[in-house]
Amino acid sequence: MNDYSEARRAGDRLAAGHGVDDPFAAAIRATHVAMLVTDATQADDPIIFANDAFLKLTGYDRDEVIGRNCRFLQGPGADPQAVSALREAVAAGQDLSVELLNYRKDGSSFWNALSLSPVRNGAGEVVYFFASLLDVTDKKAAEVRVRDRRDDLEQLVEARTHELTLALEQKTALLHEVDHRVKNNLQLISSLLLLQNRRVTDPTLKASLKGMLGRVNAIATVHRRLFQSEDVERFDVSAFIRDMVADLMGSAMRDDIAVQLDLERVDIAASKAAPFALVINELLTNALRHGFPEGHGGRILVGVARQDGEFRIEITDNGVGMDRDNRPSGFGLTIVQLLCQQLKAKWETTDAEPGTRVIVLLPVNGAH
Amino acid sequence: MTGRALDVLIVEDEMLLAIELEHLIEEVGCHSLGCAMSSDEAVDLAEKLHPDLALVDVHLSDGPTGVEVARKISRDCGGVALFMTANVKRLPDDFAGACGVIGKPYSEHGVKTALSYLRYCLQQGQAPGPVPVGLTLAPAYAELWGLSDVLPKIA
Repeated sequence: MNDYSEARRAGDRLAAGHGVDDPFAAAIRATHVAMLVTDATQADDPIIFANDAFLKLTGYDRDEVIGRNCRFLQGPGADPQAVSALREAVAAGQDLSVELLNYRKDGSSFWNALSLSPVRNGAGEVVYFFASLLDVTDKKAAEVRVRDRRDDLEQLVEARTHELTLALEQKTALLHEVDHRVKNNLQLISSLLLLQNRRVTDPTLKASLKGMLGRVNAIATVHRRLFQSEDVERFDVSAFIRDMVADLMGSAMRDDIAVQLDLERVDIAASKAAPFALVINELLTNALRHGFPEGHGGRILVGVARQDGEFRIEITDNGVGMDRDNRPSGFGLTIVQLLCQQLKAKWETTDAEPGTRVIVLLPVNGAH
Repeated sequence: MTGRALDVLIVEDEMLLAIELEHLIEEVGCHSLGCAMSSDEAVDLAEKLHPDLALVDVHLSDGPTGVEVARKISRDCGGVALFMTANVKRLPDDFAGACGVIGKPYSEHGVKTALSYLRYCLQQGQAPGPVPVGLTLAPAYAELWGLSDVLPKIA
């Protein structure tokens, strides 16, 4: 074996520079880290030195490895990318750290954390490569376990996310369906009231029906508004009042009454929207009907503002006032009283000289 | 009130709503051509009677067929469709050729105002002013009637 003897001689030359008492050489021979030296000046870069740890790791005898290129450690499971990185580092004379699957003499495999460094002579030419090999099979196995576990978890998360997305879609569809039915039923109720109102001639009954129609319309306006915003939990008070006033004033057909709106944007919980709307409807209707009898025009101010942790809703008219025999109907006021109690709102009516001022103070967070 | 009375077809499967709508149509000085409850009936009546305006609910007695009805009326019958639905958000972006939508639940006043407004638009070719509360115009019609700068807010 010519290669072997040549490599052997190169190994001897290397050893000759490091006597038996050289502590570095002794350390390399004795360390538990597998180490190799190859001769870069010979064809195909043969191994010229292998320490005992290397022989123990790979299961080869020394004379089976000296004179051979390291590639005999590779096998069917070698990662082509790692192998070509190794080849390029050798060709370019560069350092390299890489993890690759290697094989022992008995065919069993191990993960090798390989560190490769070129050794240069005084002229800067690469004369040797020095390699250390570390068996990191356990670490690799742990990595694989972690990755498998993570993949499992990711699959689990994905499946759960899918379930939740489906559930949300179903919930949204259901919400739309219920919303649709509520709106259609409100439409039906208001059409019923309108139809009956057309048949009735008794003015008292007609006024009652009109009053009920107004209340149903107030709730209808709430529902038209509720699902228009993206946030189904909140209800835009000012937008509602704007709609409500447009509708009430339009159907009252009173061009002699001007409405001034001074609305700050405030939200209330959607669950309070209907009682709130009913209160506002009664107060606005009262201002219209009792403040301004036929032939007596004027102005109504509707204001919404945030004030000391409360929403302050003001409805002021400069009409005839309520001290005469035009007091609002008992039922309307009862509604306001009961619903303000329900909303934990304070409510007071004062003389605006002339006219009437009603202030509703609604707690922002549900309590005073 | 300008011009001749508009001929209006009601496409609605809820009888009480349809009857009440007829009253409202007559009260604003338009003429009701009658009521269709299914998509076939609606298209038949529209082809026969050539309504100026068709008030179209999305859910009819044969299912959610109102969108197709509106498309056919505006494409094949020379009429203008107006949706009346509780599901404003489910309408296609192009409104299926309809001129707009009144969201349910609408009020008596809301419908009357919208009808008067649309009559002006249809007869004069331009809007008399900003779109009234309760009515939302399709983008194409808002532009046609000179409202491209003041598009109604859907939100």
